[in-house]
Amino acid sequence: MGLQVNDVVLELGDGDAQITALDHVSFGVDAGELLAVLGPSGAGKSSLLAVCGGLRHPTSGTVVIGGKPLMAMNDSQLTRLRLQSIGFVFQQSNLISSLTSLDQLLLMVHLAGRRPRKADRDHAMALLNSVDMGHRANRLPDQLSGGERQRIGIARALMTKPSLLLVDEPTSMLDQVRGHQIVALLNEQCHQHQVAAVMVTHDVSMLDAADRSLHIVDGRIEEVAVSATN
Amino acid sequence: MFLAWRDLVFAKGRFLLMSMIIALVAFLMTLLSGLASGLIKNNISGLMALDVTNLAFEYNDRPNYRNSMVEREMWEGWRNAEGVVAAEPLGHTMFTARTPEDLPLDDVVLWGVEPGGFLEPDVLLGESLKGPDDGVIISALLANKHGVKLGDVIVLDRVLTKLTVIGITSEQNIGHVPVIYTPIRKWQEATYGPPGGPPPGEVLPDILFDYASVIALQLAPDADIETVDIEWGTVTMDKQSAYEASSGYKEEVQTVKMIQGFMVVISALVIGAFFTIWTIQRTQEIGLVKALGGSNAYLLRDTMGQALILMILAVGVGTFLAVWLGLSFEQSGKPFMLVKDNIAGSSGLLIVAGLIGSMVSVRLITRIDPIIALGRTR
Repeated sequence: MGLQVNDVVLELGDGDAQITALDHVSFGVDAGELLAVLGPSGAGKSSLLAVCGGLRHPTSGTVVIGGKPLMAMNDSQLTRLRLQSIGFVFQQSNLISSLTSLDQLLLMVHLAGRRPRKADRDHAMALLNSVDMGHRANRLPDQLSGGERQRIGIARALMTKPSLLLVDEPTSMLDQVRGHQIVALLNEQCHQHQVAAVMVTHDVSMLDAADRSLHIVDGRIEEVAVSATN
Repeated sequence: MFLAWRDLVFAKGRFLLMSMIIALVAFLMTLLSGLASGLIKNNISGLMALDVTNLAFEYNDRPNYRNSMVEREMWEGWRNAEGVVAAEPLGHTMFTARTPEDLPLDDVVLWGVEPGGFLEPDVLLGESLKGPDDGVIISALLANKHGVKLGDVIVLDRVLTKLTVIGITSEQNIGHVPVIYTPIRKWQEATYGPPGGPPPGEVLPDILFDYASVIALQLAPDADIETVDIEWGTVTMDKQSAYEASSGYKEEVQTVKMIQGFMVVISALVIGAFFTIWTIQRTQEIGLVKALGGSNAYLLRDTMGQALILMILAVGVGTFLAVWLGLSFEQSGKPFMLVKDNIAGSSGLLIVAGLIGSMVSVRLITRIDPIIALGRTR
């Protein structure tokens, strides 16, 4: 199993201001499976991503990625885990403005403490081509459209061959047509690379592309559904 | 340095502006360093040129060249002491001099030295003090400035002593006043004798020739300075300390060093402020890199590397421009001197100050929470 979340509780704030962002949440995602997490604003979707990505320690419960429990890890171990095992796809603005499309991917090699070799460049170009962005390899983010930036983000997330892909509102800044293209692309990449993926979205129309979906409200899972197309 | 270099290229306008400020500071630092060296040279070049290890002054809490007076038995006592290679009297008196056309020269310091001794300067033109008894060696700057030539007679005001210019030496000053060299006997006559010399038919008493200002020493490393000082009532300084006995030298050096210190602090603050603002502007991106798996160590190396590149380039440009301008100052005879070690030192100090300043942003970087990459926490 790519990701296993067991009975996770996340409490934020102190005293009277304390809120339960995640309330005994449990689910699992297999390699090659795309799970959509749906819910209204403030339901706890991003908190769930933060916990799954090792950006927040849960108050209780366990998160296991590729057989490794996150609870026992300190910050630097979590940082290494994010680099080696987790790919993040953020909202469209989260590309680094000074890097070209190709450099966005090669950055991951630098973060691993290596200088990119030819094999790394070839891998990066293959990923860019797989998201149909090979011809934009030398463009800076502000020379790309929203959909193109999101494609680069997906390619970057796959650069380190992660076992888990965490996708945050990938269609929030896109129109319906481009949004569907991006989610379809995510589904395709997730199956092709056998990566477990969790996609947070508030857009119900994107559910068709997911293998399964969770509906989360006030930090609790209300409903689990298997997509009709799967 | 992957991100650092690309950031520099991407935000070149911002970094260029910052580089110009750093380059300007480096330019001022180098000019100040040249001015400091020039002032020091202008103040003590005469002392620097002396082939001595130490100078012995008449005992005093705050000895200086003007209030020191030593007797013959003192310098002869020193000469015979153990560990003393050589000892010679040096006379030091300030005069106003006049040109052959009776026009006032600058103030001059008349140094009396033993002809043929180790204190006598090398001449660029003319002959040494072994020549006529009233011979004087003047500096090239003084000669050029006032058109004084070999064979001209200059007159010391107040004592009306006439000195014939027999040699020209390089620029040598003490307390920013040009030094002129005459035989010690002539100096003693001018300093202790009656104005205009002895009355016709009379000779000056021998006792006049038993005094000088300080004792110039060439000492072996094992010389017991303290014992000889006590025995002969002197206070002996090494050559470096003896510079401070030149009027205004210590204060000038302190002032210049203080200005340099302020410049370094200002640089550190300016660069620290720049990198702090730059880091705040990059908070989102730094959070993103952390979320992607970038460690604090990677980001800190990158930031410090960026600061180092910026500092080296900007300081290099500023220093180059200052050296270029400084060379023309040097050639024009202004009190300015480019000393390689000092320039390297001030440039290095500036780079270190910049790096220290940029470290202010380090704390900010380590405190950035990668969760901001998600844009929100709930």
